Amino acid sequence: MTTVADVVMPRLSDSMEEGTILHWLKAEGDRVRRGEEIVEIETDKATMTYAADADGVLAIVASEGDTLPIGAVIAHLGDTAGNGGGEALASTRAEEGAVTLAVSASAAKTPRSSPAQPSPPPDRDGRKHASPVARRMAADLGVELADVEGSGPGGRVVKADVEAASQTAAPAPTAPTAPPTAEPAPGTAKGAVRIEELSRTQQTIARRMAESRATVPDFLVNVEIDMEGAVELRSRWRAAAELLGEDRIVPSLNDMVVKACALALRDFPRANGAYRDGHFELYERVNVGVAVAAEDALVVPVIVDADARSLEQIAREAAELAERVRARTITPPELAGATFTVSNLGMLGVHSFTAVINPPQAAILAVGAVEQRAVVRDGELVSRHVVTMTLACDHRILYGADGARFLGRVRELLEAPLALTL
Amino acid sequence: MRYREALNEALREELRRDETVMLMGEDIGVFNGAFKVTAGLLEEFGERRVRDTPISENTIVGMGVGAAMSGLRPVVELMTINFSLLAMDQIINSAAHIHYMFGGQARVPLVIRMPQGAGHQLGPTHSHCLEAMYLQVPGLLVATPSTPADAKGLLKAAIRDDNPVIFIEHESLYGQRGEVPEDPDHVVDFGSAAICREGDDVTIVGISRMALTAQRAAEALAAEHDIQAEVIDPRTLRPLDLDMICGSVRKTNRCVIVEEGWPHGGVGANLAALIQEQAFDWLDAPVARVTGADVPMPYSKPLEQIAFPHEPQVVTAVLSTFRDV
Repeated sequence: MTTVADVVMPRLSDSMEEGTILHWLKAEGDRVRRGEEIVEIETDKATMTYAADADGVLAIVASEGDTLPIGAVIAHLGDTAGNGGGEALASTRAEEGAVTLAVSASAAKTPRSSPAQPSPPPDRDGRKHASPVARRMAADLGVELADVEGSGPGGRVVKADVEAASQTAAPAPTAPTAPPTAEPAPGTAKGAVRIEELSRTQQTIARRMAESRATVPDFLVNVEIDMEGAVELRSRWRAAAELLGEDRIVPSLNDMVVKACALALRDFPRANGAYRDGHFELYERVNVGVAVAAEDALVVPVIVDADARSLEQIAREAAELAERVRARTITPPELAGATFTVSNLGMLGVHSFTAVINPPQAAILAVGAVEQRAVVRDGELVSRHVVTMTLACDHRILYGADGARFLGRVRELLEAPLALTL
Repeated sequence: MRYREALNEALREELRRDETVMLMGEDIGVFNGAFKVTAGLLEEFGERRVRDTPISENTIVGMGVGAAMSGLRPVVELMTINFSLLAMDQIINSAAHIHYMFGGQARVPLVIRMPQGAGHQLGPTHSHCLEAMYLQVPGLLVATPSTPADAKGLLKAAIRDDNPVIFIEHESLYGQRGEVPEDPDHVVDFGSAAICREGDDVTIVGISRMALTAQRAAEALAAEHDIQAEVIDPRTLRPLDLDMICGSVRKTNRCVIVEEGWPHGGVGANLAALIQEQAFDWLDAPVARVTGADVPMPYSKPLEQIAFPHEPQVVTAVLSTFRDV
């Protein structure tokens, strides 16, 4: 007798609809144990490994390169006839017929429904567990269930969680009354309308930005910074790197901005904090998020402990993170935990701009292009490399003078760029 | 007034009101009934209307069916619901179905009274709660009063109803005291549940004696866990006041059903199915059930006590609809 459990394409992210088999980590016929990683799967967001949910002999169904929808069978884990009932495969349920073992990667690493574990991951079988009333209310209130942490048994999202989430979410946009139709609307004065559905990331951006605008009383401070020294330092580094002949990383001007901000954040704890529930939260670590434009989305990878890292480390890390955003191998932990954000549109020739605060952060710095401008120095009109930066501040925690002093400190550091290299 | 006295009063009043009403059962006359529910009725109404019978349940019920078909309103007492199994043929094949089988030509206005319930160390042949079996049969009405007032009001309604009624009393409740309206026309309509306690956080449906257990559990939940439970006693299982139960569930979003009978195919199993059919989008947790153990009732006192629900099991079941317990 042969018992077989299907391994199906798991749901590895909220927005995932299909996945691509990149690489089988185990070969056909290998005996694998539950929890062992067996396959590398590429999703819309990242590449992740997926672990077996049961012991058994691997029979591969999907070839490397195949793209399959969630739930499609990618392999079987079988107990071959001659195995003499050694390690029991999967469970007795498998013997009863078609049993689908679709468990997300996270669940595969943790024992299921162990009573000692108070809150198993809410998406343990690839589906967000939510009570019927919570689902209905979430739909009515426009709350994204995927973003709600469940407080019910087993991490189930219950009514109270949805109510709480709807109160913290943006009060502004009214709940959608009808689901958006995929049908093109009939011709109007604007011509035919094509309706595009938002990706999960786009939904999150829409929600959080609206929440920011609706709830954060922000104000702007801008400053012009002389980057002549920084530009010159960079050209010297480039020459030095060439001299060394190795594949040296030369920090970009943006890396220098990140470093300057990190040092300034250490001096201004409230800029490295958040206003939350009537308190100031001041964070020990300085984690600077760097906004990176991804295809049709905006992703903000985080340089953790940026104040403690050398400029070279920051440069290396920023380059790696940006590359991973482009390659879509960035993982959620690398996108979490920022205490401040730098957004730079200088490379697109923007003179200056303002950015929307990413709540609950206290501020965001919008960096324009470094341009040669005619400026007055010592009574003389001279040409200098100059950049305009705009700091958007949450006035509940960062007041006008604080914002100005913080920005002044950033300016001081960037105008004396050797300070960034110490 | 005690539960048994309320039942006695209902019988007495109906015997007085309607001369077609008559009683039959083992030891109900001279001995005043195994649980003294019929005390004094033989004296007042005589042997013609209060008849002691042989120990033969199928025969007693059969006589009741015949008497009902020929125009009387008999009330048959069986000593416990466990013995009614001997009369299943008369109850289901005759009493429940005659009206249907003969196109409405005959009616069977018969009441079969019987107590159920564990707690007296009477072993598996005397202690079971079998309301679920009768609930399943179309043609039968099923009443499960938990208070003296409901016992009286429902029994009077049962006697006046033209359908056969399975009237399930509870052995442990016979001595229970409670206010009973003096109005001789105090009748509790079938199909109207009672809200025993109001609350917004969870609905507890208690069947028969478990309505009282549920109320005690609700007090404990309020005192110790700040949970306000709404306790509902359906009072009749068929017809069932599903509107009131689902209305409460739509308010509280949670439901726990407590019954003394077995879990499989039980009253709670049935009710949970109805609730999820009608109130699915209001549920914040799976409907939970607290039932008797899935075993024949043990004779041993400690085993018997843990074989049917008490307050702690109800409290735990309620908490489990809120969080991991």
